[in-house]
Amino acid sequence: MDYVIEMVDITKKFPGVIANDKVNFKLKKGEIHALLGENGAGKSTLMSVLFGLYQPDGGKIKVYGEEVKINNPNDANELNIGMVHQHFKLVHNFTVAENIVLGMEDTKNGFISMKDSIKKINDLSKKYGLKVEANSIIEDISVGMQQRVEILKMLYRDADILIFDEPTAVLTPQEIEELMDIMRQFAKEGKSIVLITHKLREIKAVAERCTVLRKGKYIDTVEVKDTSMEEMAEMMVGRKVLFDIEKQENEINDTILTVEKLNVRDLINNKLLVKDVSFEVKEGEILAVAGIEGNGQTQLVEAITGLRKIDSGKVWFKDKDITHAPVREKTLQGIAHIPEDRHKYGLVLDFTLEENLILQDYFKPQFQNYGFLNFPEIHKHAEELIENYDIRSGKGRLTLTRSISGGNQQKAIIARELSRDNSLVIAVQPTRGLDVGAIEYIRKSLLQKRKENKAVLLLSLELDDVMNLADRIVVMYEGEIVANVMAEDTNENKLGLYMAGSKRGDGYEKN
Amino acid sequence: MRKIDKDKPLKLTTSELLALDVSKAKVSILSSLLSIFMGLVLGMIIMLIVKPESSFGGLATILTGGFQDGAQSFGNVLHYSTPLILAGLSVGFAFKAGLFNIGGAGQIVVGGFVAIYIGVKWTWLPSEIHWIVAMLGAGLAGALWASVPGLLKAYRNVHEVVATIMMNYIGMYLVLILIKGSVYNSDKNETVSVPRAARLPRWGLDKIFEGSYVSAGIIIAIIVSIIIYIIIFKTTLGYQLRMVGHNRHAAKYAGVNEKRNIVYSMLIAGALAGLAGGTIYLSPAGRHIEIVSQLVSEGFDGIAVALLGMSHPLGVLFAGFFFGYIKTGGFYMQSWGFDEEIINIIIASIIYFSALALIFRTKATQIILLFGKWFRNIFKKEKPKDKENRGDLDEEDN
Amino acid sequence: MKKIINNLFKSCKALLNKLFTKIKTAKKKTLLITIIAILIFISVWLWDNPTFYFLTRITLYSSIPLMVVALGGMFSERSGVVNIALEGMMLMGAFVGLFIMYILQGKGYNGQHIFLLSIFIGGIVGAVYAILHAYASINMKANQIISGTALNLFAPALAIFLARFFTGTQQLNFSDPFRIKRMGFLSDIPVIGKILFTNVYLSTYIGIVILLVSAIILYRTRFGLRLRACGEHPQAADAAGVNVYKIRYAGVIISGFLAGIGGVVLIVATTTTFNANVSGYGFLALAVLISGQWRPGRVVIVALLFGFLLKISDAVTLIPLLDNLRLPSNVYSMLPYIATLFVLAFTSKKSQAPRAAGEPYDAGKR
Repeated sequence: MDYVIEMVDITKKFPGVIANDKVNFKLKKGEIHALLGENGAGKSTLMSVLFGLYQPDGGKIKVYGEEVKINNPNDANELNIGMVHQHFKLVHNFTVAENIVLGMEDTKNGFISMKDSIKKINDLSKKYGLKVEANSIIEDISVGMQQRVEILKMLYRDADILIFDEPTAVLTPQEIEELMDIMRQFAKEGKSIVLITHKLREIKAVAERCTVLRKGKYIDTVEVKDTSMEEMAEMMVGRKVLFDIEKQENEINDTILTVEKLNVRDLINNKLLVKDVSFEVKEGEILAVAGIEGNGQTQLVEAITGLRKIDSGKVWFKDKDITHAPVREKTLQGIAHIPEDRHKYGLVLDFTLEENLILQDYFKPQFQNYGFLNFPEIHKHAEELIENYDIRSGKGRLTLTRSISGGNQQKAIIARELSRDNSLVIAVQPTRGLDVGAIEYIRKSLLQKRKENKAVLLLSLELDDVMNLADRIVVMYEGEIVANVMAEDTNENKLGLYMAGSKRGDGYEKN
Repeated sequence: MRKIDKDKPLKLTTSELLALDVSKAKVSILSSLLSIFMGLVLGMIIMLIVKPESSFGGLATILTGGFQDGAQSFGNVLHYSTPLILAGLSVGFAFKAGLFNIGGAGQIVVGGFVAIYIGVKWTWLPSEIHWIVAMLGAGLAGALWASVPGLLKAYRNVHEVVATIMMNYIGMYLVLILIKGSVYNSDKNETVSVPRAARLPRWGLDKIFEGSYVSAGIIIAIIVSIIIYIIIFKTTLGYQLRMVGHNRHAAKYAGVNEKRNIVYSMLIAGALAGLAGGTIYLSPAGRHIEIVSQLVSEGFDGIAVALLGMSHPLGVLFAGFFFGYIKTGGFYMQSWGFDEEIINIIIASIIYFSALALIFRTKATQIILLFGKWFRNIFKKEKPKDKENRGDLDEEDN
Repeated sequence: MKKIINNLFKSCKALLNKLFTKIKTAKKKTLLITIIAILIFISVWLWDNPTFYFLTRITLYSSIPLMVVALGGMFSERSGVVNIALEGMMLMGAFVGLFIMYILQGKGYNGQHIFLLSIFIGGIVGAVYAILHAYASINMKANQIISGTALNLFAPALAIFLARFFTGTQQLNFSDPFRIKRMGFLSDIPVIGKILFTNVYLSTYIGIVILLVSAIILYRTRFGLRLRACGEHPQAADAAGVNVYKIRYAGVIISGFLAGIGGVVLIVATTTTFNANVSGYGFLALAVLISGQWRPGRVVIVALLFGFLLKISDAVTLIPLLDNLRLPSNVYSMLPYIATLFVLAFTSKKSQAPRAAGEPYDAGKR
């Protein structure tokens, strides 16, 4: 059998951790090969080694049977290897065409000439049905189109070996279908495809073979059609996995949070990011806000929690107008906030764990005397939370937060937010980037809050989260709410149509 | 998990070394010392190039000048250290809150002017409190001056580096204008001398360090360092300032009014620089502000002090002493035919080397590990168990 | 107590906001019309008045170096390296360039040749000095402001040390035969002839060439595209096969080269003694760069404005309106710095700084 790519015993170390430990990976010509593993299993690292972004500490790479050394992405390009990265590598203020040609610019008399390039881009775009506008600026186009730009970037470089790193995270179910069709078309043309993912359904749908990694180690390569989803999941996690968690019926009570005709603008270009959004969250209910990334969900939450200025509209919390209340007042009133970006907002990475656990409480009488920090109380508080929420770290409460694993960092935030006395939990992408164990833990914690008759406002891009947890779902599209439905009355396909803006729910018709 | 062999530090890579669990304080101190060493080596090289025959004598003078004339020299070391420590605290304090205060020169000269003004004009004050009022005025003026970039940063998003630099020049010209209208000595084209009664008291220090300019200023500087240490590490204000400094976004998320804290930290930083100005112009040495368009050098020296002291108040204290010490040595350099500017060259290169923290921290870690091994071998102690290194366990996809 | 502080803050904030919204709400059009009206007024009022040409000329003397240095800063910052060391780089360039001039003058060489040689050598020295900043910021991933500060302190210390060592004083004196009185028929072109072709330095033209070339390089060449990509999103550039380190080195070195040129040009056009300082022009150039939003077109405009403000104190006695105010000359000296703060206060909220400026790029980092 001929392989286009053979990666043998690849080892890649990062300080304190081995991301790839003698991993083997072989790709056949014309196949779609899934690379499966949890977050942190080393999938992206392996492919970044192949793409020349990292240098392996051991092992060898063969391309078309010949051993090669890939020092940088240029080398990868020359070997016709292309990669769509999970976090798009696009320059926000360049045009689509400029982003595509970057690194491979045509020049005439020393000046850049875009004419031929744009023609080639348009041809490729037509051939594969990858619709883009060559002269649009990246920051003005949708996430879906940005992904198409990334794909075109590979094709423009005549790549035959295409690596897709978690490409579906930013797409609606329908867009995912389209993407898979495109992948099949590539494979039919003889291109070889690596699909990095942790979503089993996608593997079942499109891939022929699947290589599983776990904690940096190679587990196995299997034929997809001969392997059940449960088997793959077990290989990935290392134990049996429950797919659905139990969600019991719950009594839904009084309204806690009311949002009325909320409008939020971008400070720089004055565009409306959130338009006339209204909804309610009730005690004992989990309300999920679904939508594709970049449709105003983040800004909506930032506005409610006080991180962003509200242009117009009202926010009531327990019958109190908190529209323009500062963050601290909202926190004290009883709003907990598990933020989207735990490194940017949730934690001060250069603080110790115990310092991070009093982030919103340090000024309370319990933790200070006349402005001096009360260290014995702070220690006690930290010990308690570490114990109760099972936060694991090298040196306990004195560990520098930066050196704790992502899952435990998130646990620290959960511990801090849920242990405070509050009646509304706003959780933004609480499971992002975590392994299955941590995801289960977080889902259970949120359901527990619901059981305690607290309200939960959940914002997630993962439809899995949304479908598993929510009682009610609102869908946002281009800053507007386009549907507000009960979870049991809908399914992923319907949600996908709302998310893509191609359909609107009852009561949300376009006027 | 790979075992990283701590006993062979020279074989580890930079990133592996930096992730090792070696006492941060030790590494910081040692890498500062290495920067100093490299700075002195560079100074030596320059001296060797321009005048080889006197270079060794010159180096010796830099290193021992602080004791050249016994107690008198050392008293002067303390005298020169005083404003350096306060200016360093100013930069360091702002740095803890994530702000780069390059406005020391402006804050010092504005503070210094107010101190001189009060010293010269408010002679109705009893002499016991005259200098105190003048110092307070200096601190207040410095705070006021620093509040402008603070407010601009907080509410208009103006980068504090540029704003403080501009305030340096505005302050310098403003003071020149004000001097001409109030405390101008037209014969010498500088400020009128502050009467002795309003200058900093000596508190008996002149008896210990006879013939030197040492004054109560140094005691004030030491006390202020300790107070700043307590504010930064032991109070809620310090906690919230550090939060803003490490991560503005997280501070906002936690409900800290990060804008107000930016203003607070600039106010305090400015007050410290203002006090530095007070100690300069109220010192028993009797310095004047000359009518020239030149920034006060202590403002920039403060940056060096803060960097070398790692912005830690106690580190700043020692760094201030160190620079005061080699500056005193600089005054004796003339006898070897070198200009005292060589000291400023050395100081600048020490900052440059401390910016190269990556190399120096790596080397420092290696040295600490090697010495640790050497130490253990001497005492033939049993080798402690290789602790599992848990430097960084972050998942890849974050 | 707390209330007082609260109120104090609120009033401070309100005052700031009011001040800025007031000017902002005045419609852009009216603002533009006013500015044009004032310009027309000034032109008519000063038409063919020697004062007018004197003003434009001395404005150019300081605007050109400001612009050249700011353009230098642009190359560095748009590649992703913040460069507050412009002042130091200018000073190093000026010191060595003028030292060469000091040695060569009076030895029978052609004045303009010496000038060009000094400019060139100043540029080279600035570029070499900039390598120190590049090494610290790019290889060592140092805090770029600390590295820049160190270089700013090092330059004057070394210049004074060496100048005193070689000449016994820290001042370098030179004569100024570089000013070109007339450029033939070009000087007879109305208006422009008197502004651009009478009593000019060659450096004015060099500056204009640098401006044009810089703009073309930045927007029309492969290098420019890659440079901008590295300043905005180095990971993207890296993944596209661009060597981020090389591009950033190039950016910083170009900035040193232009800063060095700016240093020599500034000293020659504004004085005849070099006193081991460039009077904060490097910092002003940085402010010009930021106020100009890192774009060549706007940098020119801001540089002209600042150059005018810097020189207004020289011309006060010639403008009766200002002369009658009898303000101390230092009031005018403060103007450019105050103007900087104002301009920045307006533009910083919507700052378009290169996104990756100031962040070290680490290819091996996860």
